[in-house]
Amino acid sequence: MTDTNVQATSVVADPEIRPVINGGQRSGRGRTIRFMQAVFGNRGAAIGFILVLTLVLVAIFASWIAPFDSDQMGAGKRLSPPDASHWFGTDEFGRDMFSRVVFGARLTIQVGVIAVSISLTIGMLLGLIGGYAGGWLEKILMRSVDVLFSFTETLIALAAVAVLGPSLTNAMIAVGIAAIPFYARVAYSVTLVERNRPYFEAAVAAGAGHMRLLFRHLLPNIIPPLIVVATLGVSAAVLAAAGLSFLGLGAQPPSPEWGAMLSSGRDYFNRAPWIMLYPGLAIMITVLAFNLLGDGIREALDPRQRNT
Amino acid sequence: MLNYLIRRILSAVVTIFVTTIAVAMLIHLVPGDPVQIMYAQSQGTTPEHLEQVRQSLGLDRPLVEQYVMYMQRVLQGDLGHTIRGEQPVLDLLLLRLPNTLLLTGTALLIAVSIGLTFGFIAAYKRGSWVDTSLMTTAILGVSMPHFWLGLILLFFFAVKLQWLPVAGNNLENLILPAITLGVTNAAIIARLTRSSMIDVFDQDFVRTARAKGLTRAAVLYKHALRAGLVPIVTMIGLQFTYMMGGAIVVENVFGWNGVGRMAIQAIFQRDYPLIQGFILMFALVVVTVSIILDIVYVWLDPRIRYD
Repeated sequence: MTDTNVQATSVVADPEIRPVINGGQRSGRGRTIRFMQAVFGNRGAAIGFILVLTLVLVAIFASWIAPFDSDQMGAGKRLSPPDASHWFGTDEFGRDMFSRVVFGARLTIQVGVIAVSISLTIGMLLGLIGGYAGGWLEKILMRSVDVLFSFTETLIALAAVAVLGPSLTNAMIAVGIAAIPFYARVAYSVTLVERNRPYFEAAVAAGAGHMRLLFRHLLPNIIPPLIVVATLGVSAAVLAAAGLSFLGLGAQPPSPEWGAMLSSGRDYFNRAPWIMLYPGLAIMITVLAFNLLGDGIREALDPRQRNT
Repeated sequence: MLNYLIRRILSAVVTIFVTTIAVAMLIHLVPGDPVQIMYAQSQGTTPEHLEQVRQSLGLDRPLVEQYVMYMQRVLQGDLGHTIRGEQPVLDLLLLRLPNTLLLTGTALLIAVSIGLTFGFIAAYKRGSWVDTSLMTTAILGVSMPHFWLGLILLFFFAVKLQWLPVAGNNLENLILPAITLGVTNAAIIARLTRSSMIDVFDQDFVRTARAKGLTRAAVLYKHALRAGLVPIVTMIGLQFTYMMGGAIVVENVFGWNGVGRMAIQAIFQRDYPLIQGFILMFALVVVTVSIILDIVYVWLDPRIRYD
């Protein structure tokens, strides 16, 4: 994962910034509005938001936008360059590259959402329990998370795919598992901040049970900052899953997954460079969109960065 | 300082210990019978042979005993044999590890030199068009997939211009993969260097150094740079780990004969002893590098040294 996430950890853990993330919860709607203004006042974040929105719309309306079916062989001549009927050219089976890239957006959104949901849910629970429990449970949980964190996500994802076997579903699970330590760390640091707040101490004093303290008091308060971090995490998940598919460990042909398209087209790229141009560009624009949006949110949350 | 280092080494030992447990148990996480899956692609294997493999891997024993057996072998330098070809895993890994370290090391050098320079310039020229264009380039670099940049470089420099060979394992062949891996990571280092240096430029001790009439160069190099480098060195440690991960992909794009390329083949062949060996070795390299960087960190930051 990138520096984005390392910085995000410190941002959401900062007690002065936390109330801003929680939006209106503590001091009315004004803060939420100011936060939204700060995000959209940032040119990069605005561009990121528009790109993400476009991607989502393309994914939803793929069947209307794409002139051909993604798997339709012989939609045009084999390996024909971009022209008026095939905007991105055709591949080695004569499939329309534009239609494949458009349908690929669906898979990419799916990968991003599913992988991040897995890491977010499990990571959040681990961090929450670690931060709440204290003592030996905290030590064991967080030490294990630290150990996992020290091996790049690529290695964890590879180990997961090695166990589960290559497929797009397994790649999503693998990428999701790989990012668990990161979300667990963020959730842990936020939980530590929350459990020292007066409302929590009041709940303890009032005799609330473990379950109530964990899920009624702490959980709702650690979700907002984690959602912010998850926006940043989508770009890393998309990149990692595309990488696995490129290696042949994720989506399998004839799936129009962008990484898999690059992988199957690489034998033809000296004759038909458009085969590698458009899927790669699509991955890059998607990752860029989430990075820009994530950066914008982070800057809006951290006035120090905004001033610089 | 000694205490700090001892603490770090102890934590590294714990990391390796946990890794060995995870690696030894990896095979039990495989859905179904791992031995049958391993040999699914081999022809002419008999049930007797599979049973024999099960026994030799110790899979028929209790988990704790399996772990003890595994550790006894590992401590004697025996990481087992590959399923196909029955070659010693350790020898195969050691044969290719230097290639991966050479690639990652060269890429790190490229990433650090470009990243530090661009980040420093951007911070120094904060708010100017130079800053904006450098940081725009950096965010494009962060968003670019390694494998795509690799394919583009191959297309231009090996196929079109024919300046460099497409694949192989000579030093010539190192150039493109090292640039691919280095450039995308340079973007991350540049972004971090910029924000770290901007923090430092605003600090009181830099203002004091300026106020007492030091030359601009002295303020930059003797005061600001050293303080700004502290978080960057930590980041470079993390970067090395990421780049080792990135190398797995880049090796496969360029056919570079490192451990990453071998690991992917092992996953395809379901060669679990080789996969286990790879993960263990990867963990060892990561932990060793992070300890070395901790020592550099202590040297850079006197606050830790005198703690």
